[in-house]
Amino acid sequence: MATLAPPSPHDAPHRPNIAAAGQPLPAIRDYEQVDREILATLRPTKGWFALLLVAVACLGLGIAAWMYQIQQGLGVAGYNPPVMWGVYIITFVFWIGIGHAGTLISAILFLFRAGFRTTIYRCAEAMTVFAVMTAGLFPILHLGRPWKFFWLVPYPNWRFIWPQFKSPLVWDVFAISTYLTISATFLFIGLIPDIATLRDRERNPVKKRILSALSFGWRNSEREWRHFARAYLFLAAFSTPLVLSVHSVVSFDFAMSLVPGWHTTIFAPYFVAGAIFSGMGMVFTIIIPIRKFFRLEHYVTLNVMDAGAKLTLFTSLVVGCAYLVEFFIAWYGAVPVEQDYFWNRLFGQWWWAAWIMLTCNMILPLSLFSQRLRRNPAWLWILSLFINLGMWFERFVIIVPGLSHEYEPWQWSGYIPTWVDYSILLGSFGWFFMWFLLFIKNLPVVAITEVKEIVPPKVRAGHRHGGGH
Amino acid sequence: MSADQAGIGPPRVGTPEGQSPGRAEGTVQRREFLKVLGVTGAATTLVGCYSESIEKLIPYVVSPDNTVPGVSNYYATTCRECPAGCGLLVETRDGRAIKAEGNPDHPVNRGALCARGQAGVQGLYNPDRYRGPMLREGGTLVPTTWDRAIQTLSTKLAEARNSGAAAGAVFINQHEQGSFPAFLDQWLASQGLPPHLSYDAEAPLGAIAANRAQYGVAWPKLDFQAAKLVVSFAADYLDGWGLTVPQQLAFAEARARLEGAPRVVYIGARRSLTGLNSDAWIPARPGTVKSVADALLGAITGRATGVTLAQAADQAGVSAAALESLAAELRSARPSLLIAGGASERAADMALTVAELNRVLGNVGVTVKPFEGFLAYEGVASQAAVRAAAEQMAAGRVALAFVRGANPAHTTPAPVKFAEAFQKVPFKVSFSSYPDETSSLCDLVLPDHHGLESWGDAEPVRGTLGLQQPVMDPVFNTRATADVLIAVAKANAATAFRYPADYRAWIASRIGGNAALAAALPTGLMRGAALAAWAPRPVAAKSGGGLAASAGEYFLYAYHSPALGDGRGANKPWLQELPDPVTKIAWQTVIELHPETAKKLGIAEGDHATIETGQGSLTAPVYLYIGLRPDTIALATGRGHTAYGRYAEGCGANVMALLPVAEDARSGAQALVSTKATIRKAVGRSLLVTTEGSGRQHGRGIARALTAEQLAQGETHDEHETFRGQAKTEFLPGLRSPVANDAQGDLGDPTSKDKGQYDPAHWSGAAKRRWAMTIDLARCTGCSACVTACYAENNIPTVGASWQGPQFLPDRTGLGSNITRGREMAWMRLERYFEIDREPKDVEFDPDFETRLIPMLCQHCGNAPCEPVCPVYATYHSPDGLNVQVYNRCVGTRYCSNNCPYKVRYFNWFGYGEPNRQQYAFPEPLHWQLNPDVTVRAKGVMEKCTFCVQRIREAQNRAKLENRELQPDEFTTACAQACPSRAIVFGDAADEKWSVTRRIEDARAYHVFEELNTYTAVVYLKKVNHPPRAAAAKA
Repeated sequence: MATLAPPSPHDAPHRPNIAAAGQPLPAIRDYEQVDREILATLRPTKGWFALLLVAVACLGLGIAAWMYQIQQGLGVAGYNPPVMWGVYIITFVFWIGIGHAGTLISAILFLFRAGFRTTIYRCAEAMTVFAVMTAGLFPILHLGRPWKFFWLVPYPNWRFIWPQFKSPLVWDVFAISTYLTISATFLFIGLIPDIATLRDRERNPVKKRILSALSFGWRNSEREWRHFARAYLFLAAFSTPLVLSVHSVVSFDFAMSLVPGWHTTIFAPYFVAGAIFSGMGMVFTIIIPIRKFFRLEHYVTLNVMDAGAKLTLFTSLVVGCAYLVEFFIAWYGAVPVEQDYFWNRLFGQWWWAAWIMLTCNMILPLSLFSQRLRRNPAWLWILSLFINLGMWFERFVIIVPGLSHEYEPWQWSGYIPTWVDYSILLGSFGWFFMWFLLFIKNLPVVAITEVKEIVPPKVRAGHRHGGGH
Repeated sequence: MSADQAGIGPPRVGTPEGQSPGRAEGTVQRREFLKVLGVTGAATTLVGCYSESIEKLIPYVVSPDNTVPGVSNYYATTCRECPAGCGLLVETRDGRAIKAEGNPDHPVNRGALCARGQAGVQGLYNPDRYRGPMLREGGTLVPTTWDRAIQTLSTKLAEARNSGAAAGAVFINQHEQGSFPAFLDQWLASQGLPPHLSYDAEAPLGAIAANRAQYGVAWPKLDFQAAKLVVSFAADYLDGWGLTVPQQLAFAEARARLEGAPRVVYIGARRSLTGLNSDAWIPARPGTVKSVADALLGAITGRATGVTLAQAADQAGVSAAALESLAAELRSARPSLLIAGGASERAADMALTVAELNRVLGNVGVTVKPFEGFLAYEGVASQAAVRAAAEQMAAGRVALAFVRGANPAHTTPAPVKFAEAFQKVPFKVSFSSYPDETSSLCDLVLPDHHGLESWGDAEPVRGTLGLQQPVMDPVFNTRATADVLIAVAKANAATAFRYPADYRAWIASRIGGNAALAAALPTGLMRGAALAAWAPRPVAAKSGGGLAASAGEYFLYAYHSPALGDGRGANKPWLQELPDPVTKIAWQTVIELHPETAKKLGIAEGDHATIETGQGSLTAPVYLYIGLRPDTIALATGRGHTAYGRYAEGCGANVMALLPVAEDARSGAQALVSTKATIRKAVGRSLLVTTEGSGRQHGRGIARALTAEQLAQGETHDEHETFRGQAKTEFLPGLRSPVANDAQGDLGDPTSKDKGQYDPAHWSGAAKRRWAMTIDLARCTGCSACVTACYAENNIPTVGASWQGPQFLPDRTGLGSNITRGREMAWMRLERYFEIDREPKDVEFDPDFETRLIPMLCQHCGNAPCEPVCPVYATYHSPDGLNVQVYNRCVGTRYCSNNCPYKVRYFNWFGYGEPNRQQYAFPEPLHWQLNPDVTVRAKGVMEKCTFCVQRIREAQNRAKLENRELQPDEFTTACAQACPSRAIVFGDAADEKWSVTRRIEDARAYHVFEELNTYTAVVYLKKVNHPPRAAAAKA
């Protein structure tokens, strides 16, 4: 992984951030340090409270907008038929996509034994859970009659009315609920030894009791470790196909329809790559400030950043390739409606959105070919914001121009969201970050257990056993 | 959603007498009526059609005669929305009129009905109607009693008689056909008052004057079918000029002769709907159509008419070759039909020239049939007479003025200063039903019944009397004007003996008594004649300086709006919401400019512009229209009301503010094309309230056409048939589309051959029928009557009023804010595509473009893309081929609409059907019109065309109760029923006895987007174009 020459012992204290061969976290001396430094991040700070307040305020605005929308009808949003899906579905796909990088990092990279995942996986997995929780709101939120959302769920009823199993929207219900269940379980299982560590240090009897319950009375026995490792591996294996399947199913919402620009077989892989790409963007957006403000630079090392940036670059190339293939197929397929649509997307009515997408997702990530920039957290953070923006616009470009420029020229239209759309979009960020902020101050944001596993043996030897171990 | 009410007995046609409880004078009728409704429970099902609300149904204890709950009664009467006098069958349910339909036996409309006729019921239930008589006290109109109102009127009349002022009184009545004008004149005479003015701002007086001079009748029959060539000299015979429905029926019949159909040429500065339906357009400069007619006359007869074809072409700014070839065509294509219209100052002279052309071409008696003409315009007064009356008023010579129906304060040009003059009259009486500009100035308001509440008669064609009867109890505390006149006369012993008890008795006595009346009412027709009104007094016309002499760079071309007319339609939300058939603009007045002109002026579409004439100025957004001469600005009448109710007020601008008084010397017609104007860009920009997306087809083959020549040679393919679907390879009897076996037919097991109820051989017979529709584009003129019929039948909300948008922090406000977001709810829409290769907003002037008009509605696909994507089965396929939408089940994912290639699904963005919301589309009593067989949709659900499933089920239930099979063509959908072109045929495609099956087999038949394998149940028949015969001969 690390390509740099091993640092001289003289340099080591000054470059805690750069891994050496066989020494992924050179600045970590012993287990005690791991416990101390990571548990220190759990102390609430003023800045944290301020951020939480902002998140809750955004959420409040979103809730108010939604209540207004329920009361008045969906007309308060910017829908402009035939653009019947807008910001809500865009944001739904956006959040679902965000989740995928988390699962990729926590599960797939675990199976592939990619060591760089260790220090960021917890963060990414939490991001997955909260992103799916956020995404799951949107299909309900965008319904004309959201109070009837449970009709999409196959529940027994005396009239034997079932959902239409041919509808991709029903598949969505299964995909999202499965994904949420599995990723939440996976996150939780991984947390058990860490919760036990917290429990051991907790003085407040109420909290201690809660943590005891959550850690299932973890005793640090050999048997428990064996079971834990088995369960973890099993769930990682279980989550792995979901990375591919969930976003494929989401892509079927589009690919199964007749809409020009939607009706294409490339959508499943294209969406999965896009999802991982956007998730990597969000991981960087989150992990870089955490790394800085929680003083975890020597955990989330520049090598981790570098590896993550390479993954981002790779998925960016895949996504870019998918864009080009789309254009090629539109030309090669010679369906005039399809060609018209792509022309309109790129050079017509929606050129600005398409070029935002292409710039953010295809062009800017090319900068990651430079190792210097890959190891520059400031640039990565700025780029990650562009990726988030670009991936939101990717979904915009898929959904809105497709619907606005369909078969019937007489019904071509535009689309301008209203304050309700924006408030709910902002509210979704409020909701996501509220959970995330609560998470990072209540549970360790770096997996204590797993970090300890990669601390090199010689360091380990000088360590007295304690805490969760 | 389906109407499963048991239909008992056939639809009854009769009289509502005996159904209405007698009422005392001066009581509040509305409440009384509501009480009756309350016990039927129908009203509650109407206003409370949400799945959540539970209402109690209480049956009648004692049912009124002829009333079976859930079964409609039909009453024959006469339409009063324009003077044509079309016959109506008004459907009533539980004592309420719910829909106006054409009377199939009526000689004028033969069962068809235009949009304005359909919208009559919205006049009846208009929420802004006068609730009862009003009297001006202390400067404001306050409610009063009928006794007091009539007494006041009698007193004023007596005062006028005694002071000798009676002879100077003015009575302006909305021109109508029938005996009432004569009755009114008799009454006026008995009161010592001069005869009334029968005013119609829309009447084509120039043509009428010429017809009178030439044939002795006001309106001959125009026989399009007999003609080989139809030339319109700015006569917009499909736009509301003249008698819309009979003209359109005849035009469509003629076009339906396909390769034998007449070629149609339009001469005029603006390509109106008539122009768009023509094969060629000669864009003569405004005011020069007369020269063209003169030159053609000269060219054909060899007489010196003062202008040669070349000179005329030069004056008119058209190519001489076009006129030459038209002259040549006129010589060879006989018989032809030449129609003179136009609203210039020389309209009557031009019409005389055209009449002469018709004579020399031998068309009189062949295509122009004076003796089979219509009597609609008999007795119409000139517009000059109204202007002269205003002058009298302004001079203080009028002590007493009456107005009924007419609204001259809105419809006369600004220099007439009608409102100002009218206010000088000491006592003004209005018999109008609505608080319009004129009647709000009055001192006494005696609101008339609506036409559907009144007795009356009309003689639309000679020798046939169309009766008018009330179809329901009055909605408000109004009273028929004739009855008020009788009451006034009765109050005076000198005149009392002349009158029977009421106007009904007067009508009955004229036609041979009550028995004769009762016998005639079920059909609404009888032999007979209306009492002839006195001929209007000729009034000297006032010329307006001339078009050429007026200042300005551009010609101002005002025209009557096809839907709103002179403005009387503006208070009816259906007509406001109906996109203009040409501009596709609703709820808005736009300045029409050619794109070339706009480019020159630096004006983009939607920019505001100010037009100035010597008379005034007007600012409105600009609409770019390629069917307009670049040196001309066009504006429609009809909007810009300052009164006339919530839907009319503050909507658009009134072009009459720009026009000078310019009257045709011969006919006294106020010219609409009478001045030049200047135009400049103004501050501001508006979104156009339009339903138009892209104005051309982009080669998608939606509206297809053949030339007559291709058809004659048996060639029925066009360039769009490169992508072939599979629909034609999977036959079922009668339809080129198969019954759906994809959506739900397999009942969950794809390997099973058991199709259940979806198997046509299933014992239930549920799949025996396959409902289908054909739309003949050779007939369709794009008039949009079907659209309004659909609104009326299916409780479609109008969404364009300014208050129907979001309440809080709206980003778009004002009229049509929903429509600017494409949220109009029209289940059926009329698409208007120009066959040009660039966007119609950016083209040079070229008069030679074709237009395709196509109604688009749910295609009821056999393999419907909307069905499998609905996660909750809210849309599914019925065994008889309907694509069904279950409102109660819909959760509003809107996926169905995304997946619909035809984009014919409409979503309830707001609670348009919920009375407690500002977006409510049916404010009381408009909701009385709602069809009880059709659910009023709640907020958040999808809706779309149902093929009038309530009518299908009603007919099926009726047949079942009568223990018989459905008869072929026994019933039809609302759009097909209304269509004045007879373009739409609905029926069972699986049974060849239905006429729809023959249409499906037509060589011109095609499915829209056939390549998507949707297997649509709506089959279009290609339009047939008639290129110039010379070119055809060459080819």
